[in-house]
Amino acid sequence: MNGKSKMSWLLVAPLLILVCVGFIIPIGYTLIKAIKNPEITAALPRTTSALENWEWDGKSPPPEAVYEALIADIEQGDRGRNYGSMTRRLNFEQSGSRSIMMKARRIADKIEAPYAVSLPEAVPEFGDGDIWQLIKQNSNPYTARYLLRAMDLTVTLDGSIERVASDQAIFVDLFKRTFVISIWVTVLCVFLGYPTAFWMSTLSDRAAGYVMLLVLIPFWTSILVRTTAWFILLQREGPINAALLGTGLVDEPLRMIFTRFAVYIAMVHVLLPFFILPIYSVMKRLGMEYVKAAASLGAPPWRQFVTVYLPLSMPGVAAGAVIVFMLSVGFYITPALVGGLQDQMVSYYIAFYANQTINLGMASSLAVLLLLFTAATIAIAKKLLPETGSGIRA
Amino acid sequence: MNFGTRFTAAALVAAGLSATAFLPTVADARDLTIVGFGGGYQDSARVHLFEPFEASSGIAVSDDVYNGEMAKVYGMVEAGDVTYDIIMVEAPELVRGCEDGVFAKLDYDVIDKTKIIETAVHECGVGGAGWGVVVFYDKARHAEGPTNLQEFWDTEKFPGKRSLRTGPKITLEVALMADGVASADVYDVLSTPEGVDRAFAKLDEIKDDIVWWKSGAQPLQFVGSGEVDYAFGYTGRIIRAMGEGADYDMNWNTLLYSVDYWAVVEGSPMTEQAMQMVEYITDAGPLRNQTNVWPSSPANKEINMDPEIQAKNPGMVLNHSDKGLFLNTEFWIANGDDLEARFTSWAAQ
Repeated sequence: MNGKSKMSWLLVAPLLILVCVGFIIPIGYTLIKAIKNPEITAALPRTTSALENWEWDGKSPPPEAVYEALIADIEQGDRGRNYGSMTRRLNFEQSGSRSIMMKARRIADKIEAPYAVSLPEAVPEFGDGDIWQLIKQNSNPYTARYLLRAMDLTVTLDGSIERVASDQAIFVDLFKRTFVISIWVTVLCVFLGYPTAFWMSTLSDRAAGYVMLLVLIPFWTSILVRTTAWFILLQREGPINAALLGTGLVDEPLRMIFTRFAVYIAMVHVLLPFFILPIYSVMKRLGMEYVKAAASLGAPPWRQFVTVYLPLSMPGVAAGAVIVFMLSVGFYITPALVGGLQDQMVSYYIAFYANQTINLGMASSLAVLLLLFTAATIAIAKKLLPETGSGIRA
Repeated sequence: MNFGTRFTAAALVAAGLSATAFLPTVADARDLTIVGFGGGYQDSARVHLFEPFEASSGIAVSDDVYNGEMAKVYGMVEAGDVTYDIIMVEAPELVRGCEDGVFAKLDYDVIDKTKIIETAVHECGVGGAGWGVVVFYDKARHAEGPTNLQEFWDTEKFPGKRSLRTGPKITLEVALMADGVASADVYDVLSTPEGVDRAFAKLDEIKDDIVWWKSGAQPLQFVGSGEVDYAFGYTGRIIRAMGEGADYDMNWNTLLYSVDYWAVVEGSPMTEQAMQMVEYITDAGPLRNQTNVWPSSPANKEINMDPEIQAKNPGMVLNHSDKGLFLNTEFWIANGDDLEARFTSWAAQ
């Protein structure tokens, strides 16, 4: 390596380190967490290896060796941390498993061999093969079950995949809702932001500077502050309802907070600058010669706009729309504060699984699917939106 | 070495230095940290329990607030970097955390368990304070409000928004009692699939009128700002708001109650000091001082049974336990996960 290339590597090193530490490692970690499955083997190493040669036939329990292995695992386990995570893991797959396994631990030192007799006597669930099959099925170091569950699918004891019961299903609707909200927020930002940016681009530099301030000041204000401001504005006894009641437009206060409406209005407000800024920079640089040429050839204003100005400004629209869409897909705090439980998006459940139910596999799976769906949406959008305008500009 | 290389090297060193500034410092000596649910209870505990312990033991104490999320505690125990030493938890979380090894076994040589009422002594926790939720509303906005759970459900007689704590615990019990189940039978009914369906069906009746809260401060804020008409809130906070001038009505017929426990986090580097502190803050002396300013219901026998304290604090939950439903810890340990999943799915639709 010569001095020059060493030098250039050194110069990009901070960036590379940042990308690695801030991007590749956490995303890689999340990807792995979504499929990692260490809990069962960590707590029950003997049991899982004893189960390797046993086949579940729908009814008969495994041989005595497996029971002995379980008792040995319980007696030689740690203070309970591994055992606890194992029971949570099993309970996630099959409700009720936690209490079965906890009962086994409580009576393990009170029963005598042969355990294939004494354990089922104390905890009847160990008398057939189902709980054993559940342990065996989940003793692989990696699992697709979190990802499947994030699509409302589950694996049965015989290994087939089926939809979860309708009263447990949640995620398909959740992803749909997240994308519908994000698409509407993007569309609203386009319809509000495009004319605003156009108007700004026609102003004198001085005037545009002042208007730009109006865009930038909210942009610089923390999301939390802006969302809380909407919370106050939209309250039942807040200023908006007071004004509506005062002017006699409504007879009783409108319900705005904790609704989808509030989520849209606060998200659009937060994200609008992300649309206006790129489209404004495109419009500012856009020469009006082509529009003038179209006019001189007799095109009416609407035609000048549709055939010339709009295609020329499309790159800005696409850039702004993609930014707004990507940001809104991951929104958390705004819907959490101004929306109801029916208006929450995927991030809310990522936080729920990470903080509330201590299920990092589920939280990671939701994050991974969100990333994939977002990437796919943007790829499709890129295919569908022809790169209009670039030809003329070149 | 030319200027460019030197510049780059300097930039790297600077970047490295600033990066270390953000890394968590592990070995720092820190205060003994006690964590609770915040609010007026914790304010009074700080003055009458935590600070006197600090003064008498010479151990520096600081307190922190959480909303009952256990993930952080599990995370710090698993990572071996425990920064919470003592934590107040609800009963099912105590038992499960004990089974899972995230709470240390209490040292009953240090802590005198005979002073605690028998039902509030667990191998990993001792009763801190009784707590309860009741229906309350703002009399300035509504001359009359629900006096029982059936009326809480009656959106014709009492139109308006209701507020309940997010999650199945409390919510499902309330729904069944509103549907006419006697409080003695609530858990028998809820233990059957039909009973669970019945509770959710009852909740469906008023689903569109429910605003869900997470932290104990929220229902007070909702009712105070007129956002919600009738809400369940923690009794202590409601009484405090009334003491500060709010014109609320609270109805003890709608009480659901339980006991919160003090637990010591497993792997705490200050376990010994934590045990001493648990002993101190469950002692009659400091607790007596606390009841002068806060209607808490300590699980300490002497305070709990003291007629004088009861008379002085009509808002103590234990004064009203005959009208209320005691939340069943065993039921929620056994069924918490499933009902949580069902509730989450139901609420999201």
